[in-house]
Amino acid sequence: MSDKEVLGRKPLQILEKIKENLERLNEKMEIMIELQKHGRREFEPITPEAPLDVMTLLSMPDHLRKTAMTVCRLGRATADEVAQQTHRARAVESAYLNQLVIMGYLKKERKGRKAYFYLDKEGQE
Amino acid sequence: MGKIVAVHSYKGGTGKTLISINLAVTLAKHGKKVCLMDLDFRAPSLSTLLNIDKVEYWLNDYLNGVCEIDKVLIDLSTKIGSQGKFFVGLANPSVEAIRDMSSKDRKWEMRALGRLLSLRNSLLNANGFDYIIFDTSPGLQYSSINAIVSADLVIVATTLDNSDVEGTKRMLRDLYDLFEKKTELVLNKVMYDDALRSGRDRLQALVKDIYQVPLLGVIPCFCDISRAEGKIIFVHEKPEHPFTRILEDIAGIVDKL
Repeated sequence: MSDKEVLGRKPLQILEKIKENLERLNEKMEIMIELQKHGRREFEPITPEAPLDVMTLLSMPDHLRKTAMTVCRLGRATADEVAQQTHRARAVESAYLNQLVIMGYLKKERKGRKAYFYLDKEGQE
Repeated sequence: MGKIVAVHSYKGGTGKTLISINLAVTLAKHGKKVCLMDLDFRAPSLSTLLNIDKVEYWLNDYLNGVCEIDKVLIDLSTKIGSQGKFFVGLANPSVEAIRDMSSKDRKWEMRALGRLLSLRNSLLNANGFDYIIFDTSPGLQYSSINAIVSADLVIVATTLDNSDVEGTKRMLRDLYDLFEKKTELVLNKVMYDDALRSGRDRLQALVKDIYQVPLLGVIPCFCDISRAEGKIIFVHEKPEHPFTRILEDIAGIVDKL
């Protein structure tokens, strides 16, 4: 392996790491903005893990219902995948998905650079 | 890609089960692979109507996570002698099962919705079913709303009874609109003279005006249906009856939607 290649790879790794960190930072900012907009109380779940059943879906504001129903249908999805279904921007879906996580309706799991959102079914299926 | 159709109504006795069975059988006779499911866990009726007494697993078991869906389905294709396939999934009619199903908590209902949604993969995608038809409980109940949320198309059965009209209107506005469901309406038990006199176009306009959804079909009040006492599959045993022709039309439209 030449010196040039070694040198070439390092900056790329650093750039990827920076991008990853920026994305996480962005997500945190989105959550903070939403919390400021609506006040923390509105987001507090009734129970620590509120079930996302149809009656809950019914009582949700329209914009969140659309996102929540898409996750119900897909089972497990990234913000990108949800955005493809709802025809809304990825950043918008990311904010709504994170809101649903704060409200206790969805779970979030990171795998590498991707964040997956899913319904907590207590290990079922 | 197959379709999930839920048949629902605001009030009971509007003809959901009659429409579900006969639509399923009509589609099967058209060569489709169809599965009819009884999701009316409060008042199961398909096992009696289809005269099935030996059942190993019920839809209750599938939703409870006891078994997979293939264990529940019963093949009735030979019974109707169709080119297509006709399967049914039954709700357990025992009082104990009904009591059990009406005491489920929200977490269970959430999982049940997941199980219903996954039928799209297990039956439509992996097993080549063309149609899953859900026969539901009337009104706003968990099992019915779960079925509506899982469906691609909802057929709402209604009569011209005033309380039914108002309730159905409210339900379409406050429930269906929120879930953005493709909805079609079937007017049932219309007095034969009225239906004949007004003509389809006028009724279509009337329904659109009242309910804001398209009219899928009009079923007149047939004494022959009451006379059959739910002992026959009407479209199968009476191929020449006007009811059968109406169901043929409805199935044709559903297939194109």
